[in-house]
Amino acid sequence: MAQLRMQGHRVLVADLANETIRAITGSMVAYDGAVAFKNAGMGGGDGFKAAFKRKMTGESISLMEVTGSGTVYFAVDAQDITILELTNDALHVEASQLLALVGQLRTDVKFTGLRGATSGQGLFTTTVTGTGTIALLSAGGPIIALEVAPQYPLVVDPDAFVAFHGQLNQTFVTDVTWRSAVGGGNGEAFSLRFDGQGIVYIQPEER
Amino acid sequence: MAMELENYKVLKTTIHPGQRVFARQGSMLYYTGDVVFTPYSMSGGGGGMPGVGAIAGAAGRMMQGEHVGLMVAEGSGTVYFGRDGLYVEVIELDGSSVLTVEAERMLAYEGNVQTSIVSLSSQGGMRGAVRGAVTGQGMFTTQVTGYGTVAVLSHGGAIALAVGGAKPQVVVDPQAYVGHLGQITVDLSAHVGFRDVVGRGSGEAMQLKLSGQGTVWVQASEKKF
Amino acid sequence: MSIQIHNPGTLPVNDNIPGNDYAFCVDLAGTPWFTSKGAMIAYYGNVAFEPLSRTNLTAMVASQFSSPLYADDWVVAQGQGKLILGDRGYNINSFDLDDGNLTIRASNLLAFEPGLSLKQSIVPGFLTLLGTGKFLASSNGPVMFAEPPLRVDPQALVGWADCPSPSHHFDAAWMHSFLSVVGGFFGMDSDEERQFDFTGAGTVLVQSSEKMLNDGHVLRQLEAQTVQLSQASLLQLHRSIGSRLS
Repeated sequence: MAQLRMQGHRVLVADLANETIRAITGSMVAYDGAVAFKNAGMGGGDGFKAAFKRKMTGESISLMEVTGSGTVYFAVDAQDITILELTNDALHVEASQLLALVGQLRTDVKFTGLRGATSGQGLFTTTVTGTGTIALLSAGGPIIALEVAPQYPLVVDPDAFVAFHGQLNQTFVTDVTWRSAVGGGNGEAFSLRFDGQGIVYIQPEER
Repeated sequence: MAMELENYKVLKTTIHPGQRVFARQGSMLYYTGDVVFTPYSMSGGGGGMPGVGAIAGAAGRMMQGEHVGLMVAEGSGTVYFGRDGLYVEVIELDGSSVLTVEAERMLAYEGNVQTSIVSLSSQGGMRGAVRGAVTGQGMFTTQVTGYGTVAVLSHGGAIALAVGGAKPQVVVDPQAYVGHLGQITVDLSAHVGFRDVVGRGSGEAMQLKLSGQGTVWVQASEKKF
Repeated sequence: MSIQIHNPGTLPVNDNIPGNDYAFCVDLAGTPWFTSKGAMIAYYGNVAFEPLSRTNLTAMVASQFSSPLYADDWVVAQGQGKLILGDRGYNINSFDLDDGNLTIRASNLLAFEPGLSLKQSIVPGFLTLLGTGKFLASSNGPVMFAEPPLRVDPQALVGWADCPSPSHHFDAAWMHSFLSVVGGFFGMDSDEERQFDFTGAGTVLVQSSEKMLNDGHVLRQLEAQTVQLSQASLLQLHRSIGSRLS
């Protein structure tokens, strides 16, 4: 399996020996060797059904397949990058924060709730399942991993949410007190509440 | 004179009488001592602007803009430079090779180095320059020679990649290209089928191929500025 | 997974998240904090955020938050818990004032304890903190502490403590060459000609400059000042703005 490593905080390096990885379209900043880039399409290589679902849900994820032998460097908007290993498990990711996938990983889009009762607009998270390596983007600084347990639930600004992992129940709270804290005036402000057992990843900068 | 990093976003420059520092206008953060700043225009048109007409005019404005954007700091004191929270890289020149920096990214340099504006392109000359200006890939570069220190801007910091030996050719996204040093040949060309993976809406999908012997700096972002 | 995992027990008490200059953890333990809207990115615990106009701490707000123009930008956080704050990916630092005063750019102030009182500075877009307590400030890149005498680009200025308020300084050489080239005051697009001049003993806080295209704080303060103007002065202002927009 192709190896991912970091050069500093913000550049991801893939060393390819006749191997393939998937990465977000447009994220390659440099490469050497014999490497080919191929658009994996809207579904990110997971077939027509996933692509169709993505189109319907508006979840924008566009992956490319990077194949060959050489070294490829990836970066997006000076965001910090974190490499996570997944072993026969699932990680739920905000699509814009996913950078690269290596190994036997499948992506799918999941409906995760309504964005406020009034707007009726849905919210979707990309779920990555299987065994492999994932690179995540974090805007504004290093990613922050927060543990959730039954005795300490966590409330997160949806604009700072990156990913979660574990047996977590995710609910959208439109309480007045949070609205006053984030100042979203027009009733759009809601918070993400996590209950259960797991880990939530957030970033220092709001989208 | 001394040029060093105060922190990763700020350049600290100590100036003594008789020395000059060139810097981008608007980049002075603060200073102590007696320092005078004067707008500076490169004389002689910087390589000449042959040709007339609307297209040459577009390129001309771009090159002129480059020249108008400089100032000279002189006197005795310490000046701190920075711009919009961009990262600063300090590069030392020992007189042995040429540093090429994307013109927009030049923050400051010592007065004893020599600079000239050059357009990077496979076609070369005016046609290439115009193409750069039109496609927004604007590969205008400042070439720096001599002994001295140069400070260069990048979005989120830059990594240095070696060109040569086991890596005879390195390909760089022009949006992420910061500059290069050494005996390097640069080829800026459109890459068929590349647009699909570069994925940025407008303009031609270009790539920058560097071969030879030296170093290329690449920033941690595909955002041009 | 090698990255450090935090929970309410391991998060720092009023300090940066370890290894992260861009996120800060406030320990809310009974005493309230003033926090700027939008700085909150996550929290654990039983915490309530109340607008200044609708809190049960009216007397405290009235005495400590003496900046009516900014009241809508702030809330009072009360309860027990850990708050995590972030601001545009800026570096966040905490400062302690001991019967002191410090003036800070409004958009760089994130939170403060009610032992401090907040007043609008005479300099547009800046606020002054007085008293004893902790506050959090953000800066684009690490904040630099400098001692006067010095001159600073207004856009790079984060704040100042103990020294007198700055005065404007116009660089003579710059003005001369500029006027000779263009012959007008408006339209200058760099900042070297206009600086803030600091003198006296104290500390000036400086950051890497930022684009100040739309600082709502400055606009609001300037707008508020126009109430002092007469009808004739307003017309004059109207004309000069009109000519700049055309």
